[in-house]
Amino acid sequence: MDLASQLPQLLGLAWLLPLASFVLILFFGPRMGPHGRNAAWVATAAIVTSLVLSLVAFVSWLGVHPAVAAHHGGDHGAAHAAEEAGDHAGSHGDAAAHGEQHGEQHGGHAEQPPVAYSGDWYTLYEAGRLKLSIGWYIDSLTILMFVVVTFIATCIHVYASGYMHDELHEVTDHEVHLADGSHLHRPGRFPRFFQALSLFCFSMMGILIAGNLAMVFIFWELVGICSWFLIGFYYERKSASNAANKAFIVNRVGDFGMLIGLMALWGALGTLHFADAQVPGADGQVVSKPGLFSLVRPAEAGHALRVPDGMVKFAAAEKVAATAPGEVAGKVDVWRAEGFGNWLLFIAGVGIFCGCVGKSAQFPLFVWLPDAMEGPTPVSALVHSATMVAAGVYLVGRFFPVLTPDVLLVIAYTGAITLFIAATIALVANDIKRVLAYSTVSQLGYMMLALGVGGWVAGLFHLVTHAFFKSLLFLCSGSVIHACHTNDMRKMGGLAKVMPYTAGTMLVGCLAIIGAGIPFVIGLSGYYSKDSILAQALSFSQANPRHAILYWAVAGGAFLTAFYMFRLWFMTFSGTPRDHHVAEHAHESPQVMVMPLLVLAVLAVVAGWTLPGGFGIANLLEQSRPAGTAQTAQGGFAFGQTLTLPAEHLSHEGAIHVTATVTAFATALGGVLLAATMYLWRVISPAAIATIFRPVYTFLANRWYFDELYRAMFVRPAHGLAAVASGIDQGLIDPFINGLAWVTRQVAGIDAWIDRTLVDGLVNATASATWAAGLELKKLQTGSLRQYVMFIAAGTVALFVLASMLFRSSLAG
Amino acid sequence: MDLGSLLTGTLTDTLEVSLPLFRVELALSATIVLVLLCRMLPVLRWLDSALVALGGVAFALWYAWTDLRALPGSPWSVVAAAAHPASQELFGGLLVYDSLTAYIRFLLAGFLVLYILFTKISGIPDREDGADFYTLILGSSLGMCLMASANHLLMIFMAVEMASVPSYALAGMLKGRKASSEAALKYAVYGAGAAGVMLYGISLLAGVLGTCHLPSMAAELGRIVGDGADSFYGADSAGPIMVLTLGGLMMTVGLAFKLSAVPFHFWCPDVFEGAAAEVGAFLSVASKAAAVALAVRVAFGLGWLGDATGASAAGLADVRHFSVYVIGLMAAVTCTLGNLAAYGQTNMKRMLAYSTIAHAGYLLMGVSAAVAMLGADPEGCRKAVTALAFYLGTYLFMNLGAFAIVAVLRNRLRSEEIAAYAGLVRSNPGMVVAAAAVLVSLIGLPPLAGFVSKFLVFASLVDAITKGIERPLMLVLLVIGGFNTVISLFYYLRVLKVMTFDPPPEDRVAAPAPVWLPGALVTAVVVPVVLLGIFWSGLYAYAQLAGTFAS
Repeated sequence: MDLASQLPQLLGLAWLLPLASFVLILFFGPRMGPHGRNAAWVATAAIVTSLVLSLVAFVSWLGVHPAVAAHHGGDHGAAHAAEEAGDHAGSHGDAAAHGEQHGEQHGGHAEQPPVAYSGDWYTLYEAGRLKLSIGWYIDSLTILMFVVVTFIATCIHVYASGYMHDELHEVTDHEVHLADGSHLHRPGRFPRFFQALSLFCFSMMGILIAGNLAMVFIFWELVGICSWFLIGFYYERKSASNAANKAFIVNRVGDFGMLIGLMALWGALGTLHFADAQVPGADGQVVSKPGLFSLVRPAEAGHALRVPDGMVKFAAAEKVAATAPGEVAGKVDVWRAEGFGNWLLFIAGVGIFCGCVGKSAQFPLFVWLPDAMEGPTPVSALVHSATMVAAGVYLVGRFFPVLTPDVLLVIAYTGAITLFIAATIALVANDIKRVLAYSTVSQLGYMMLALGVGGWVAGLFHLVTHAFFKSLLFLCSGSVIHACHTNDMRKMGGLAKVMPYTAGTMLVGCLAIIGAGIPFVIGLSGYYSKDSILAQALSFSQANPRHAILYWAVAGGAFLTAFYMFRLWFMTFSGTPRDHHVAEHAHESPQVMVMPLLVLAVLAVVAGWTLPGGFGIANLLEQSRPAGTAQTAQGGFAFGQTLTLPAEHLSHEGAIHVTATVTAFATALGGVLLAATMYLWRVISPAAIATIFRPVYTFLANRWYFDELYRAMFVRPAHGLAAVASGIDQGLIDPFINGLAWVTRQVAGIDAWIDRTLVDGLVNATASATWAAGLELKKLQTGSLRQYVMFIAAGTVALFVLASMLFRSSLAG
Repeated sequence: MDLGSLLTGTLTDTLEVSLPLFRVELALSATIVLVLLCRMLPVLRWLDSALVALGGVAFALWYAWTDLRALPGSPWSVVAAAAHPASQELFGGLLVYDSLTAYIRFLLAGFLVLYILFTKISGIPDREDGADFYTLILGSSLGMCLMASANHLLMIFMAVEMASVPSYALAGMLKGRKASSEAALKYAVYGAGAAGVMLYGISLLAGVLGTCHLPSMAAELGRIVGDGADSFYGADSAGPIMVLTLGGLMMTVGLAFKLSAVPFHFWCPDVFEGAAAEVGAFLSVASKAAAVALAVRVAFGLGWLGDATGASAAGLADVRHFSVYVIGLMAAVTCTLGNLAAYGQTNMKRMLAYSTIAHAGYLLMGVSAAVAMLGADPEGCRKAVTALAFYLGTYLFMNLGAFAIVAVLRNRLRSEEIAAYAGLVRSNPGMVVAAAAVLVSLIGLPPLAGFVSKFLVFASLVDAITKGIERPLMLVLLVIGGFNTVISLFYYLRVLKVMTFDPPPEDRVAAPAPVWLPGALVTAVVVPVVLLGIFWSGLYAYAQLAGTFAS
């Protein structure tokens, strides 16, 4: 079986198994063993099978497309590098001479599009240009993400079957106070948790495998719903249900933009499919119907970005109307040069990015993610750090070919702002999960920034490595919370002695996230991915000196990351216990929870490595690099200046690479040392710092007042508007409706009287008449045999008389 | 023609033509002999006569099925070229074999299979009476098969009596029950009276026309009527016509008795109430199917001759006009009276008796429409006969279902009064659902089988109206048919109301009775009522086949 038919089957099955598990648990969950204990097995079995299938797909892919040091891979030959550098210099030199406003191909040789398999399983609806379908688009990125998602999900299923143990019997929720002062007692919800987890896995894989944007949107909303279920798992807690609603509503704001983007694409281009589709043409031949990628980056233009014909015509609708139909095709290029359609493509890109802003918790919609930590910790690890929130990054990566340099700049700045704000808040947070949540937001900002400055591989590479170490960190924090029954780091301390495994694995996670390693030799997974981001950002700021701040944001962010992560670790594990009550109860977590920690810790170390044969995540991702993005490109019209997107391989050049690596190492080391000074060696008192910088501290501790700002800007006005509307409703509309109802009732009363007396009377009269007739006829049946026999004779005679009367004339002819 | 060739001819006709097409009746006869033998020979005493009868009837059903499939134009035909002629006179013209014969025989044989299972499960007759009971049932069925294929006045009389006489005994099956014996006696005397009148009519017809063979009679009839008397009472030919009219009407009395058409229905409620529900089922389904077939046979046989021309054809048109009116008016009266009299009945079997009378009325409407369109519109006539055949097919399940439910409930409640069914939905919900399906189907509401058959019959009336054939009468029949459907709602639904809404009587002692077999039986009979309302094209294809006999 060839790969093209094998992959959709393998991944399709892997995708649908969690759905089956969801349906099973939905209907039979409570009956699966005592208190639904076996629901965990069903869900875990499904996700493990999905993992196996994904791995089989992964291996099959490698068998056909081995991941070797790519053409532009990290360890390319020096001679080649020189050649590329020459090209680069040349293109840079005459950049100003280019009048083109959009991406221009440099480098001198045509690119091959990446290997990808696509098709449709099922067409939901098709009429004219309109086609909604459930299909697949599979490249190495899809398969890699499948493996990552199913793998982490497997770890978390195992972990959760231990962590959610309390839900197996009656639960007393100490955080819910009832009116009489007692705590809430409720039945356990063990199966319900795994049911939502299975649905989430299905939805997440739906986004990954989706062959078109409409399908992405469907599963996008599905993961949103799952997130709502899971954040609000303890829905009796007001904070949990509020957080669930907040997450859902904030995401809708982003999805609004995404819908605009979808409409712009569909309206102008008439397709939402990523890849070209082979469809039967009018004359029975198979013709290729171009998808989004090849519309925006047509092969005949060397995969350089240009505004598609459809968008040009759409934007120049007035000119099209004024032109004879036959001449339109010839003028499209003229109109394109005049700039028609630029804005449309920009809006489409920014619109799609809006959805990603919501889902990936970017500024200004990041406020929901820290609150989402109200959900159970395994959920925070899987949904709100490793996978779902990464969906936004994934979509930007998937949609990358369609994004213009202007959109990418918007993305880069959004990422930069997000990473800085979140990192600063994390500095002062005391809730262990919130520190991790802000660190997630910050790291997502990193990924967005990386994509925005043209680091396609760097951004997605960080997505994968981050998934491993962040889920590890969350599971460790869960283990700590499980032991201490509190989230407050101020009550912890000295836990390393009682929880050696947790402390050790969490240290690995912290080292991974700050990108620790021996420079130029070896490092943890974060070392590789963060370095490549830093290098690409540096490369970008060198090419566009006006945007040098992006690089400083990344570098500063690295410092902050190192500081707050080690602040967390030192506060939790080192020193002596601050709260003896907590420390006495602390214990190492059960094996079922520790095992996933160890597995993830190993991966957090090795995920970034490139094996001698060239096998590594970066090279694997390189296989799927969108066509036309391997070369330095220029473009941009919206911000008054031509932007240069340096080719990613340039960031591996000696000078940039060295600078970036040294910067990363220095900032990380600085952050760790500062944290150690304050929290390990206690040379500087954090309290003193807080007092000195009181305003800054308050500002950060209140999370930049974003929640207050939004409450004042949106929530209050919305409530006010709602109050006004409600007032109009109750004071004006309701009396009117009630009046109408009163009148109707009066009319109905009259109608009823007519009905009862006249109509019913008539009906009843008919009924009683037939009844009476029936009873009369009954009397005819006397039961007397003599009479019956007489009736034979009488009947015959009657018939004859009747016949002779009737047929006197007709029988006579 | 010498005796030898006559004998040879008769022998050839009998052995090579008639007997192969007479296999169903032969199988039934053989079964009767077998059942009796088992009863008489001590060696075979242990054999359950119901099983013997079932085996024989299964053979008959198989033959009927192969016969049906061998007809030209049969759906699912096994034979590429039709093996059987479309129409064939048997035994020198006494019987006729055509698609109607085959269809009714198949219906009867199929009914018998279900019926024997039903009686076996419901427990009446008991083992002691079994041989007598099944002998009588099979004998009567044999008569009914002959009714469906009779082509000769003698055969008609013979068949009617053969079907009736065992029925009289069957009505008295419940030995020691006064009502049963009374019912049997009434039935016998009434039947004898009707037979007498019919025989008188037959002799008048035979006397005037000089033959008993239906096609020959039709030829003579066309000639006499077509020659045209000046008036009914006046000129020379008036006498014969008057005698013919009288003879025809008297024969009608015999048929009306079998159909339980008003005003010759008096036996019906008394017999149904007195006899066991099992007997009621037999009389209402099998007897009705055969009687309708015979009515169609006689009306078609005397009113139509394919090769009649000129005055003769006109004469036959007059005959048809006359019979359409007689049948139509009888249908209208029967239907209305049956439905009205069903009001206020307290006994379920008695109510069902009136229900069968009413349904006889609907069927007669179809017969009258068929006769009306005979000759004038062959296609419409075929459709009308198709509607009748379909009606009989669905009626088999509906009424067998109704009586099966009555019998099963009788075994459980020891009562057949409607009031005894109060609140049954609480203890026997399944039975109430089945009863609802059957009764609503008897009303003729969609999506049940009764709706389709009633719709088809009314459609043939509309067909005749739109084509302007006997328009006033057909219009009246359509209106009366619709009106009757409405008023029949009441008494059928009343039973359901009692079963569901009324509180169960305090003192109900449900007899411990096995649930599984009766439940399976009722399901097996009721499910077709539902299915035939939705997937009716299969049965309709065979009904269409039966309809082809008219061409």
